[in-house]
Amino acid sequence: MAENILVIGGGPAGLNAATMLSELGVKVTLAERDLFLGGNPKKFKYKFLFPDMQPADNVVGELIKKAETSSNIKVYLSSEISDFKENGKKFDAQIKSPDGNEIKTFDSVIVATGFEHFDPARDAKYSYQLFDDVIDIKDLERMMGEGNFARPSNGQPPKNVAFILCVGSRDRHVGNQYCSRVCCTVSVKQAIELREHFPDCEVYIFYMDIRTYGFFEDLYWQAMEEHDVQIVKGRVAEITSGPDNTVICKGEDTLLRGPFEIPFDMVVLASGMEGGPQSSEMAKKLGLELDEHGFLKPQNVTLALFKSNKEGIFLAGACTGPKAISDSIIEGGAAAMNAYIYAVRNH
Amino acid sequence: MALEKQEKRPVAEKGEHIIARHLIEDDYIKEEKNLVIDGVDVSGRWNTFIRTRVDSEFDRSFFREVKETVAGSRINRCWQCGMCTASCTVTPLYRRFNPRAFIYMMQLGNLKELKKYVDVAWRCVGCYKCSQRCPKQVNPAEMMEALALLIKKYFPEEMESKLKVDEDVKKIYEDMILGHGRLDLAKLHTSSMQKMGRTKELIGKMERDAIFKMIKDGRAFSILKLGRPHNWGKSKRAIENYLKNANTLERSEA
Ligand SMILES: Cc1cc2nc3c(=O)[nH]c(=O)nc-3n(C[C@H](O)[C@H](O)[C@H](O)COP(=O)(O)OP(=O)(O)OC[C@H]3O[C@@H](n4cnc5c(N)ncnc54)[C@H](O)[C@@H]3O)c2cc1C
Ligand code: SF4
Ligand code: SF4
Ligand code: SF4
Repeated sequence: MAENILVIGGGPAGLNAATMLSELGVKVTLAERDLFLGGNPKKFKYKFLFPDMQPADNVVGELIKKAETSSNIKVYLSSEISDFKENGKKFDAQIKSPDGNEIKTFDSVIVATGFEHFDPARDAKYSYQLFDDVIDIKDLERMMGEGNFARPSNGQPPKNVAFILCVGSRDRHVGNQYCSRVCCTVSVKQAIELREHFPDCEVYIFYMDIRTYGFFEDLYWQAMEEHDVQIVKGRVAEITSGPDNTVICKGEDTLLRGPFEIPFDMVVLASGMEGGPQSSEMAKKLGLELDEHGFLKPQNVTLALFKSNKEGIFLAGACTGPKAISDSIIEGGAAAMNAYIYAVRNH
Repeated sequence: MALEKQEKRPVAEKGEHIIARHLIEDDYIKEEKNLVIDGVDVSGRWNTFIRTRVDSEFDRSFFREVKETVAGSRINRCWQCGMCTASCTVTPLYRRFNPRAFIYMMQLGNLKELKKYVDVAWRCVGCYKCSQRCPKQVNPAEMMEALALLIKKYFPEEMESKLKVDEDVKKIYEDMILGHGRLDLAKLHTSSMQKMGRTKELIGKMERDAIFKMIKDGRAFSILKLGRPHNWGKSKRAIENYLKNANTLERSEA
């Protein structure tokens, strides 16, 4: 009889893990909390992905198709793990879905529950939800995915847009000290998309550092050199309402020394990634450890990012920290390999 | 003596009544001559206003103007790393000459700030060290050229007043070369000091000591022995021609 492996979370990481295992002939149970597969990229309708602007469908759509068509994968949507117990070297899990409760025994488990977007409303200085024209990168991603580039307040094209980096990241005040890694690249990508869509709209990025690491740097150079996106050094400390239906960003230009208060038609907050409630929920239910940032803690951050502190339970994707889709997919594969080895040994 | 005088900040008459006046730059103080508010004449003590020190707009028209010039076409590339300023020949001499900052002011159209540097902004000597080091190949050396042209266009009056001495010194320099075929440094020095209104310093102790030393070691007399360069008339005509052409060119551009 084939091995049984449970994958929790149907984002890029979980989808790739499930697909690879199915190709090895493993029987996979894929439990997804949402109504659909694809994780955050699907939920927020990402249309074009950094670094090369390829359609998200080529990546996430492809992964979903593979998982849905594999006879070895059983997908449970709108489901949760309502009970979880160790059973010798194996695991008994109860999957609660609209079709009822099912208890199954698994040889190993992969947790790929991903991340949550930082909710900018938690940081009052940015006036998110107070002003229609203050949105964040996930909102803009969704708007652009729906072909809607206009100002939320009046449906008009914006004349100038400001991106504010590091919202909810690198800020003791909100409790997140870490860098969310993708928001810089997402912001320069979106700045390019805005400039392409509205050539007359000026786009500014307020930054403390621009961390478009590795080859993502290409997008940053393109944003400046081919699209005249202007970067301004300084973090914005307050957003207030301005004249003519604008929003004012108050900050300091740290290169020239001196305060500014500039009105914009639209402000886009680069909100970061958080472990979210699902990370602590998984930690509690499965007996895993959380790290000091609120993500699931790997056994060894360098040697074994895909292993949890529990034998037989593996981790993949953004549940262990902020990362890009490519990294999440790779980790899905690595976790699959390790979960398979464990399952075969103890089967 | 002269030094002491320079160090003391002149008490600006403008905004005299403001407590902690030293914290506010002259530019930000506005005084109305005859101010009447609600029928009450408030001229005098109550006519002084401090303008907000907050920047309230980015003006990208300036950026676009620079970008359209040949010398300034790469302005959009600059990410303010400061390697140009770090490698600049002029900055150590004039700390206020900062190519990196000037480029930023041009990017954001911050003319208010740029105006403060009219006196130094054109001091680039064209050594191209900055352009050789700039990681983004902005070509900051040529950016300084674009800057000089724009400053001339936007602040003609400031240019005139701030650069008057320099123009005068240039004239002395030219006359000297054309007249004698060489530079007489002593004369250049004294004439320039006179033009700058620093005549007093010329008879200061430092100057006197220097002159005495030059007399003692004979350098002062060697100048007298120097004649005009051989065949100077020909070179002189060539230089005169060049200057004439350059002037016509400048005038036709303006
Ligand atoms: C605005 C934005 C734009 C981005 N754009 C790009 C880009 O262009 N290119 C790129 O490479 N990366 C991009 N990223 C990063 C990318 O979103 C992540 O790397 C990727 O989504 C992580 O995949 P994942 O599968 O680990 O997690 P997720 O995508 O978060 O998926 C996790 C899945 O697990 C499910 N789940 C959670 N909890 C439970 C539970 N208790 N039970 C069952 N299921 C659960 C969730 O519903 C979700 O479907 C972007 C990120 C942001 C914030
Ligand atoms: S990726 Fe950029 S915006 Fe995001 S937290 Fe890091 S530095 Fe800030
Ligand atoms: S011009 Fe070049 S060297 Fe100077 S700050 Fe800009 S990018 Fe750096
Ligand atoms: S070319 Fe001009 S700006 Fe550049 S290093 Fe030389 S003096 Fe400085």
